[in-house]
Amino acid sequence: MRAMNAQPTRGADAGARLRAATGTSAAPTPTAGAGSRPARGADRGAPGRRPGGSPLARQQRRFAILCVAPALILFTFWVAVPSVRAFYYALTSWDGLTPPRYVGLENFAAMAHQGDVFGVALKNNAILMFVPAAFTLALSLGFAAAIHRGVRGARLFRVVFFFPNILSAVAVSVLWLLLYSASDFGVINALLKWMHLRSSAFEFTNSRFLVWSLIPMLVWSSVGFFMLLFLASMQNIPETLYDAARLDGASSVACFRHVTLPLIWETIVIALVFFAIGGLKIFDQIWVFEQQTARAESNTMATLMYSKVFYEYRVGFGTAIAVVLFVMILLATLLVMKLRPKEALEY
Amino acid sequence: MSDRRADTAALGRSSTMRRLALMAMCLWALAVTLPFIWTVLTSLRSTREIFRSPFGWPDALWPGGAETGLLENYRKAWLEANFPTYFANSITVVAVSLVLILAVSVPAAYAFARLRLAGKRFLLLYILTGLMVPAQLILVPLFFQYAEWSQALTAALHGPLRWLGYAEPVVSLHNSLAGLILIYVALSLPFSIFVMTGFFRTLPTALYEAAILDGCSEWQAFRRVMLPIARTGVITVTIFNFIGLWNEYLFALVFINDESLKTLPLGLASITIQANYKTDFGLLFAGLVIVMIPTLVVYVALQERITRGITVGALKA
Repeated sequence: MRAMNAQPTRGADAGARLRAATGTSAAPTPTAGAGSRPARGADRGAPGRRPGGSPLARQQRRFAILCVAPALILFTFWVAVPSVRAFYYALTSWDGLTPPRYVGLENFAAMAHQGDVFGVALKNNAILMFVPAAFTLALSLGFAAAIHRGVRGARLFRVVFFFPNILSAVAVSVLWLLLYSASDFGVINALLKWMHLRSSAFEFTNSRFLVWSLIPMLVWSSVGFFMLLFLASMQNIPETLYDAARLDGASSVACFRHVTLPLIWETIVIALVFFAIGGLKIFDQIWVFEQQTARAESNTMATLMYSKVFYEYRVGFGTAIAVVLFVMILLATLLVMKLRPKEALEY
Repeated sequence: MSDRRADTAALGRSSTMRRLALMAMCLWALAVTLPFIWTVLTSLRSTREIFRSPFGWPDALWPGGAETGLLENYRKAWLEANFPTYFANSITVVAVSLVLILAVSVPAAYAFARLRLAGKRFLLLYILTGLMVPAQLILVPLFFQYAEWSQALTAALHGPLRWLGYAEPVVSLHNSLAGLILIYVALSLPFSIFVMTGFFRTLPTALYEAAILDGCSEWQAFRRVMLPIARTGVITVTIFNFIGLWNEYLFALVFINDESLKTLPLGLASITIQANYKTDFGLLFAGLVIVMIPTLVVYVALQERITRGITVGALKA
């Protein structure tokens, strides 16, 4: 057991004074200075000191336990226990009232067999993972690079672009529900008509097109966030690298391609993790657009789980979907993290 | 010579690029702002005006041009559609949750980063696994767990509550703001503890030791010395959780049923459904503006801190 001041000390002999003052140190303090370090190390391992022996150490331990106990209790009963239970529920057939019946992996087999319902949800999740990511990545990288190179009004752009990101998914969805409306007040349909692209209103919010209609909305609300993420990372790149590249005759595109991009690669990988998790977990937007009903064409794993459990009382099957969702998030995160650079670039 | 030519060529290209970028960004800025302006303008029109055309100046802004007042939709949203209740519930839930999150996570993070505790690395790792748990995984088990706990609590408190004068006492964590708050607090812990632990680790030890030397107790050293310097971390955690909880929908949807307990996202979602079958879209536009205004005000006031808090917080998680 180490002495109570396990933390590395900054001051030359603060630790020694501390121990002397509190009486935790049995050994006399060696003379201060460079030579005292090994001596102090030896002193820590000195025999005869029991953990919690001194009143101060005991006080610290009691304080530490008091500090972590509420967090541990809450986390255990509200997060850890339900997580473990989810894996158990997934192996049962249960209506939520009568006792659950253990069915092994039947729920997972059912998912594979009734390919139509679960398969559509999975396909929708895949679309919502990849398509918005591509557009958002292109736009936010471009905007971040422009601001980084000094575009006029950069501050205003940052403020404006980021705002939709902090609105609730519900508010954003209601806003776009109104924009997309096929009624007379739908702005987007009015614009399409005005541009002679369509003669009648297009039903953007129809379940069959909903997943595709969500894409502009998702890009609209998240570009600002990713722009700031990339911008923060770009601002860490020393200006000298750009000077050197420009001296070598590199164009601004080449600068971006060969200087900026490799140096913010790690942030891009993090962004990809966000896209993957976001696309897999998506629920709120679809639930608002579909007015709290689950439709076969527009389901994602989350909405399918919700409707199976709370509308059809198939608790076991619904939870099994949640388990699949969880495993997919884990796998996606691990896979994307593999894209990380093997060794950190030095600059 | 050739060097200079290359340089000017690069410059020329870059200024066209720059102009293109500026144009694209202006277009995007319009795409972001115009929907909001449209929503505000439309919220000032009556439902009949709204169905006339998507564009148009509110009749009420013309002298003598309208059959209803300018703020008619807002009056209805505020007086008939329960928005004051939704607001009060959201504020209660978020405020109490934030206080509890900080009260639980900051001392825990401090202990994990600074204090001696057997097995603390394992305990920290245990809590951090929570970062990987999606809300969807624990939603259903928590729902049934709450049912069990409510039954047990009702049984346990039956006697005392009867004695206090309740006829048929039922204690339920379902459909209660307290139940929802406890979920929010527990779910926010892994992230908050993660950020705060990282933060406490960066603080110098010397100050802590000086405080102990001066005769402070552990609590005083934490409260008077370490906590004040940890302010930046506390602000990051507060902002990140505030935005997340103010906007939370899924857990509120599952755990709250009563109209009188709904939070803002829930309320807005149910107004949307009502607007569709009552075709009262004026009310919906006004409700949407009412929901967005506080976020906008907070954003304008704390813009720097919010953007930093969200991006830093996200990068860490």
